[in-house]
Amino acid sequence: MEARGNGLPGVRPRTAPVRFEAEVHPVVALALVAAGAGVLTWFAAGRSKRLGLTPHGGRQVRVKGSRRYRERGTEVTASAAQRLNHASSMLAASVLFDSGLEHYRGQFFNRAMYTPIIASTVTLASSLHGAGDTDPGRSHVRHAVQAMAGVTGLVGFGFHAWNVGKREGGYSWQNLFYGAPIGAPMALTLAGILGVAAERVRDADPDAPELAGLPAGGALAVATAGMLVGTTLEAGLLHFRGAFQNPAMFVPVTLPPLAAAILATAAAAEPGRPHKTAKAGMWAVSAMGVLGVAFHAYGVARMMGGWDNWRQNMIDGPPLPAPPSFSGLALGGLAALELLEHRRP
Amino acid sequence: MHPRRDLYPGYDVLTKRDSPSWNAKTRDVLAERLGIGPEKHRFLDDEEWTTLKAVCDRVVPQPADRADPIPVAALIDHKLATGEHDGYRHADLPDQGEAWRRGLAALDAEARAAYGAGFHELGAWARDELLKAAEAGTLAHPAWGDMPTAKFFSGRVLADAVKAYYAHPTAWSEIGFGGPASPRGYVRMDFDRRDPWEAAEAKPGDAGEAITQNRRVGR
Amino acid sequence: MRLSGTGNAADNPRDGTPGDDPMHAPRARNGRAPNVMRMGEWVPMRQHADEDEVDFVIVGTGAGGGTLAARLAEHGFSVVAMDAGPYWRPLEDFASDERHQSKLYWTDERIVDGDNPLQMGSNNSGKAVGGSTVHYAMVALRFRPEWFKSRTLLGYGADWPLDWREMWSYYDQVEDDLKISGPVTYPWGPKRPRYRYRAHEMNAAAKVLARGAEAMGIDWTPTPLATVSAPRGDSPPCVYRGFCVVGCSTNAKQSVLVTYLPRALAAGAEIRDLAMVGRIETKNGRATGVHYFREGRWRFQRAKNVVVAGYAIETPRLLLMSANPEFPDGLANSSGLVGKNLMVQGNQAVWGDFEEEIRSYKGPPSLAVTEHWNYEDRGKDFHGGYCYMSQGPLPTQWGSTQAGSHGLWGEALVSEMQRYNHVAGLKIVSEYLAQERNRVTLTDETDQYGLPIPRITYSWCDNDRAMNRHGLNFMGQALAAAGGRNIWEQGDDTNHLYGTARMGHDRRTSVVDGDCRSWDIPNLWVCDGSVFPTTGGVNPSLTIQAVALRTADRIKAMARGGHQRDA
Repeated sequence: MEARGNGLPGVRPRTAPVRFEAEVHPVVALALVAAGAGVLTWFAAGRSKRLGLTPHGGRQVRVKGSRRYRERGTEVTASAAQRLNHASSMLAASVLFDSGLEHYRGQFFNRAMYTPIIASTVTLASSLHGAGDTDPGRSHVRHAVQAMAGVTGLVGFGFHAWNVGKREGGYSWQNLFYGAPIGAPMALTLAGILGVAAERVRDADPDAPELAGLPAGGALAVATAGMLVGTTLEAGLLHFRGAFQNPAMFVPVTLPPLAAAILATAAAAEPGRPHKTAKAGMWAVSAMGVLGVAFHAYGVARMMGGWDNWRQNMIDGPPLPAPPSFSGLALGGLAALELLEHRRP
Repeated sequence: MHPRRDLYPGYDVLTKRDSPSWNAKTRDVLAERLGIGPEKHRFLDDEEWTTLKAVCDRVVPQPADRADPIPVAALIDHKLATGEHDGYRHADLPDQGEAWRRGLAALDAEARAAYGAGFHELGAWARDELLKAAEAGTLAHPAWGDMPTAKFFSGRVLADAVKAYYAHPTAWSEIGFGGPASPRGYVRMDFDRRDPWEAAEAKPGDAGEAITQNRRVGR
Repeated sequence: MRLSGTGNAADNPRDGTPGDDPMHAPRARNGRAPNVMRMGEWVPMRQHADEDEVDFVIVGTGAGGGTLAARLAEHGFSVVAMDAGPYWRPLEDFASDERHQSKLYWTDERIVDGDNPLQMGSNNSGKAVGGSTVHYAMVALRFRPEWFKSRTLLGYGADWPLDWREMWSYYDQVEDDLKISGPVTYPWGPKRPRYRYRAHEMNAAAKVLARGAEAMGIDWTPTPLATVSAPRGDSPPCVYRGFCVVGCSTNAKQSVLVTYLPRALAAGAEIRDLAMVGRIETKNGRATGVHYFREGRWRFQRAKNVVVAGYAIETPRLLLMSANPEFPDGLANSSGLVGKNLMVQGNQAVWGDFEEEIRSYKGPPSLAVTEHWNYEDRGKDFHGGYCYMSQGPLPTQWGSTQAGSHGLWGEALVSEMQRYNHVAGLKIVSEYLAQERNRVTLTDETDQYGLPIPRITYSWCDNDRAMNRHGLNFMGQALAAAGGRNIWEQGDDTNHLYGTARMGHDRRTSVVDGDCRSWDIPNLWVCDGSVFPTTGGVNPSLTIQAVALRTADRIKAMARGGHQRDA
């Protein structure tokens, strides 16, 4: 109300009936709920396994009578699993902030719009928990949470597809640009898939790890390559909406498919070979995801009013949380390559 | 027709003055407009002025409980005094200043002829009768000269009074207009969506939610 | 935060030069012109003395003159472009306020009469460097190809001396120069290249149009607009502030002021703001230069060629005011058609209430369009076509519409105005026919320059009225089908100006030829909407600009070939 002081004579404030504002802002409430759910997940995931002493580093030592770890486990599966959890964390975090921003824009018009916030927080907690878990052997809680995330993403995809279809013009470019982003919920599914894979890899035979009956390294490599291509399509759609006005906008539609192709080829190579190029490609994609945030921050600054107008430009400008989903997938690719490299012929 | 009501309770577009919705030029322009006092007139003489105020009260009536009524008459006088033109005038009408002077004098003369009192002394009903007659082109007092009253009413009275009224922030608040918007524009453009810096409409039976929202638009 | 080197500041503190009043003191002088994209910055400007005989002096810097100035300068000609209006810096000078921003309009007095007198001032004229593109609605539609031969192919109007395929290639160039934001595929007409930028998000008002069109079984599309949907150089993407038609304060709008004129300056053209041209001088049947008023005195600029680009009122006014013993009826007027055949377009609307909040003040006013009745000839009882668009009137404009067209005042007005956020409307741009009785003439009254003020006479013909009826009926049904209630018709509005120096194949029935060169005076050209022999059913700016680019190319080709048509 200090506006009244300077230079607006002759206007008295229209007095509104004073109401005691005790209510919590819905966004704050949502954040609290999500954080609470995340903390619960964290402890739940821990309790399921940590029945005794903590493990001794990465190498599993059976302590007689005090632990119920499974016997199996080597550094390869555990370390690859941790990588997969890193990947899943990054994707879940990307989904958390991206869906938070986009659904804030949509003002949580439908209650279902709260779902991805909670789901991705829980997934994030589970993945972070797994990332710090050097043990082999799956956590059933984490596995269940990741599977739930995968399903939630699919349901979200269905919702978004339905939302786009019922808009004026149906499945048109216009609605793909400005309707609910069809591809976005799939990022949560990808986080779930990588998280589930992490738990399964933990459980797998370290000498010949398998996923769904296939060699784990190869299966993961091909799957990750596919996910990279899918995410490229999403980035391509949005960068097409932005008319590729900056040449840098071509990077996320060219580098990831290239890296994905190399990754997929790696799956076909004989076991145990090093995959330097494929790894370099994954690191490059990973770095691109992080650099993308900086580019998007520059994009926000280029909008009218720049960062001072953040309430508009954070939402209307290039989405800051989106690019790291590429980094997440690249980490998944690195896990796959690790498994491939350590696979015994 | 819905009767006029407090549809956007607690909404004051001026609370956005220091938000990113207003730029410096807009603040200057609006400060100048808000500085025009309700009794300020330079172009019209006192007699024309009282008639003009009485006309404006009927063309764009304001709620009796409005603390600071929009100075519609003063805004019109300001336009005439500064010589802001519309860019055209009908061949039958003289220049805007001359048209207003003659028209106001003629309305006053019509009032005295029909009711024996000045236009500004008439009640609402009688004033409306005269304005309706002007609108219909049925007034014929010699004071009009060759100026067609219907064209004067639509081309000058309605045009100038309505433009003056809806150029004022109080009117923007009344109709729930977002007001100035630069550098910040709008994000949510779909049906039934509003940005947190837009007016919230009171839904029937629940003004409280709108009041809460409207007190936040300036943040 | 302001990113250094860009124009997209959060605020516009005016720490400019004291006494910098663009309405009273020219800004383009002393070898520099405003850099309109950045606050307080300048760009160098080549200047010419009045005594220099420049290749081209161009009167007017809007869609026609500004575009032409850039292309001619880029072709290597020396160019001086004059405009009667100020040289605005949008980032610093533009407020978010309808009343204040009427400073962009041509508000010098004009007399209107006829059966359907035109409203001038706001929506059909501009007095600023950049012309009315500074406040236009940015709608960038192409002509239907057949319109260039409407007499031959459609049986009404007049044929243009231009080929649609050539125009199609110039449309491409303008669309690229303005980075038009449009749909990925366009539903009507021959294939066109993809718009350079994607269409904008549609607001609720535009979705009303879409719903209505779908209910009526016709195509619709997001409107191709000259405002960017993604960054372009120093232009930030549109922030949907909704004040487009009173001037864009962000430079997202790709007006001539921020596109072609900076190019013109960079290519060596000089722009003179606050320069009102009052008379074209001729000698031995050729134009020798222009008399213009600037900085308090009348001056004379010598030129090898004069281009008049003042739009369909000021262009004939200048040609008529320049009458001299050699050309007693005004310049380029041997056909007697200068000032005649004034055309406008229908701008009727239907308005209705919606249960939902619409809030059409957000975003560019016309985000959706249907050209169905431009391309469908069956079922019409009139000649010509029309498109219609969604609308976003701001409060004073909406109040004026409710008062002037709906006839409301008093309590009826103020309560109806409270429905503002629930109103959506559909507004037509329709093709009216040319009539010689609709014309621009000079009166005895004079303006602040001492020049005779124009009289604008306009009346509808039966075909115009039949088109109005068809359009209002169809739009009313569409609006009702979209959920509109309490629908009412705004029957009186018109916009855009054309025809008062029409182009043609024959010097007896036109003022200029296909190259926009006057039949009578070989070094006198016209480059604006005045040259249109027909209006088509779309907004004019894109076509004016395409014709301007073509004219510049033709001038270059003729200069290279040493070709001189016999006068």
